[in-house]
Amino acid sequence: MSELEAYRSKAQAWLESMAPKYAREARRGMTVEEELALGREFQALKYEAGYAGINWPTDFGGQGLTHLHKITYDALEMNYGMPTVFFGISLGMPVPILMRFGLGENKEHAAWVKERVVKALRGEEIWCQLFSEPAGGSDLAGLRTRAEPEGNGWKMNGQKIWTSWAQYCDYGVIVVRTDPTVEKHKGLTYFWVDMKAKGVDVRPIKLAGGDSHVNEVFFDDVRLEDSQRMSPVGGGFGVALATLMIERYIATDSGGFGPALDVFVDLVKDLEINGRPALKDARVRQQIARNHSMRAGLESITSRAFQMMMAGMEPGPEGSLQKLVAVRSRQKLSELAMDLQGNLGLDFDPHAYVKEDWGASWLNAPTGRIAGGSDEVLLNTIAEKILGLPQDHRPDKGVAFNQIPA
Amino acid sequence: MSMLYDEGQQAIATESRRVLDARVGKDRLLALLEKTGEFDQAFWDTAVEQGWTALAIPEEHGGLGLSLVELGLVAQASGAATAGAPFLTFGYGAARALIDGSDKDAAANWLPKLASGEALGTVAFAEGSTPLPPVAAVTFDGGKLSGTKPAVAGGLKADFAIVWANAGGKPVLVLAELAGADRKAVSSYDNSRLYADLTFAGTPATVLAEGDAARALALDVLARMAVVTAHEQTGGAEALLHTARDYAVTRKAFGQPIGAFQSIKHRIAEMYGLVEIARANCIHAAASEGKDNFLIAAADARIAATDGYDTASRDCVQIHGGIGVTWELGLHLHMRRARSLAVELGNLYFWEDLLVEQLTGEAA
Repeated sequence: MSELEAYRSKAQAWLESMAPKYAREARRGMTVEEELALGREFQALKYEAGYAGINWPTDFGGQGLTHLHKITYDALEMNYGMPTVFFGISLGMPVPILMRFGLGENKEHAAWVKERVVKALRGEEIWCQLFSEPAGGSDLAGLRTRAEPEGNGWKMNGQKIWTSWAQYCDYGVIVVRTDPTVEKHKGLTYFWVDMKAKGVDVRPIKLAGGDSHVNEVFFDDVRLEDSQRMSPVGGGFGVALATLMIERYIATDSGGFGPALDVFVDLVKDLEINGRPALKDARVRQQIARNHSMRAGLESITSRAFQMMMAGMEPGPEGSLQKLVAVRSRQKLSELAMDLQGNLGLDFDPHAYVKEDWGASWLNAPTGRIAGGSDEVLLNTIAEKILGLPQDHRPDKGVAFNQIPA
Repeated sequence: MSMLYDEGQQAIATESRRVLDARVGKDRLLALLEKTGEFDQAFWDTAVEQGWTALAIPEEHGGLGLSLVELGLVAQASGAATAGAPFLTFGYGAARALIDGSDKDAAANWLPKLASGEALGTVAFAEGSTPLPPVAAVTFDGGKLSGTKPAVAGGLKADFAIVWANAGGKPVLVLAELAGADRKAVSSYDNSRLYADLTFAGTPATVLAEGDAARALALDVLARMAVVTAHEQTGGAEALLHTARDYAVTRKAFGQPIGAFQSIKHRIAEMYGLVEIARANCIHAAASEGKDNFLIAAADARIAATDGYDTASRDCVQIHGGIGVTWELGLHLHMRRARSLAVELGNLYFWEDLLVEQLTGEAA
């Protein structure tokens, strides 16, 4: 047995031992707050067991293992539906960026950073990522929240939106405009912000699927010390890009984070179309076959990326297809599953789990196609970064931010 | 099960691309379209000289003893160049039927000749719209074949065919030498495939498999050929992706390269997705040769590659506009090949049903 296989089976055994108290089944019917409390408890145990910060440096409380160990563990944990969703963004982007850009010129903040990292790994503190704004989602550099010099620090005003879990967060990383008189990418600066500071107002947004994990965050004369600055003044866009580039190869799901194809087949087995078994129907068979082929392709891409990393190579760019292809097809397959159930599919449980329930999968699929890069932005990225096609026409190019027609 | 290509396999891919770039020309391929009954002899001579005919035949029968992975890489390079003769795939299918069939004398006789390129073999399973009819119309009785297999790829020049037939209600897989069959050339939109209606009238044939074993062997042969073809289709689709991309960055309209318009760039990005999913499926299928899930992996690859090549040829022509539909530019070589390969190995209705039956146990 290879070292990685041994790691996998040990992790599996640990997760198995945690499942009765923390896995999906154990949490049915709980409120979000109850789940969060249980999640913090699980996260602390995870830290103690050495499964938090798997590929992070030991200096900061990580395990110092490889990225392969991390995705091996993540793929296993995903099967159990552990209550880690609250910490996904926190540990995914802001905290790694803090370790990289938050230490200060002479590492004078190292002790403070380490304290934050360990608390985040243990689930005691949560960090959010304050990027999107009402006027800038896909067009990140078009953001309008501004920070102006005030004494030896800064004064921040403006609004962020779609900030996941901000209502439970202790800290956040944020990109703001510090100079509106230069080109839009060049007038940005990156800070961390205390989410409990005076002038920070978090208001949850209820989404179409009924949950409220995203928020609007308002800043009204919020004071930032210059020591909270994580980029050169005007150099914030580079750190923002670095944030988005982290973890290009995370644990993926060929089902687009919706139900597995087996779940669809199990559903269809009990249904009929015009008095005939639905599984005999050519339209249904075609969809099963097409989806299987597509998912098998994505799984082969993932498997090869994994093998390349094991061989010390950089995986190919085709990994960037995963979310685009998988979530889009999950949406259509969910519609089909609802159609097949007819009136019986009208029964809807707003608390159902998206990987088990077709209604929940369908209702939440649009979020998946927009969040973390919309389909359109992903297609642009593939076209421009992989295939070398030209950028779109951008009338704001080379124009000072405050001269761009609103 | 998936895999990374090793150095030897990468060398086969590079070398086959290089050789085909040097020896395959658009003019010759275009001329072949207007001739019934001829094929790309220069390609075939190259295939023999390069040892591609021997690649996947076991060493004890004069072959190189390599696998579907290596043959797939050659097929991918051939697909990119719309090069190829039907024998690369169908000769391999015939060889597999001999390797796994029960007639060891026939295997000993024909396999070395297939490997050396001295003999040409093909596979005649399909009748009408069915790649593998439940009950074949062609019958086998008393060692003799009767009936017609329509538009058999390579049928016009092959020395022998592996034929799917009905022996008194029981399926059989037999080998018939084609000297004793009537061959009628079929004029096609992709003429170099050498399609011929093969009519047997008491043609002698020898049995390779009977009953359930015949069906299992025929399915395995079909699936293996489908994996080779899927590589060829993926190669074609990838070539079209590059052609479309290159055109979109050079051709200008409304003061900018057409590739700057999202209607064009997104279409090309979608094409990239189809190509990569087809490629990943091909690698997975080739690496699954001989494993329990092989039929599933082969069907997955067949579906992804057929859809990918058809879509790429449709979209690449569309992106080119008027120039794309000219004879001279030759994109129609890919359009034609995309369709001939889609049909030759059985339409997707067959593969979708086969895949779902494998996954669920429920036949159509």
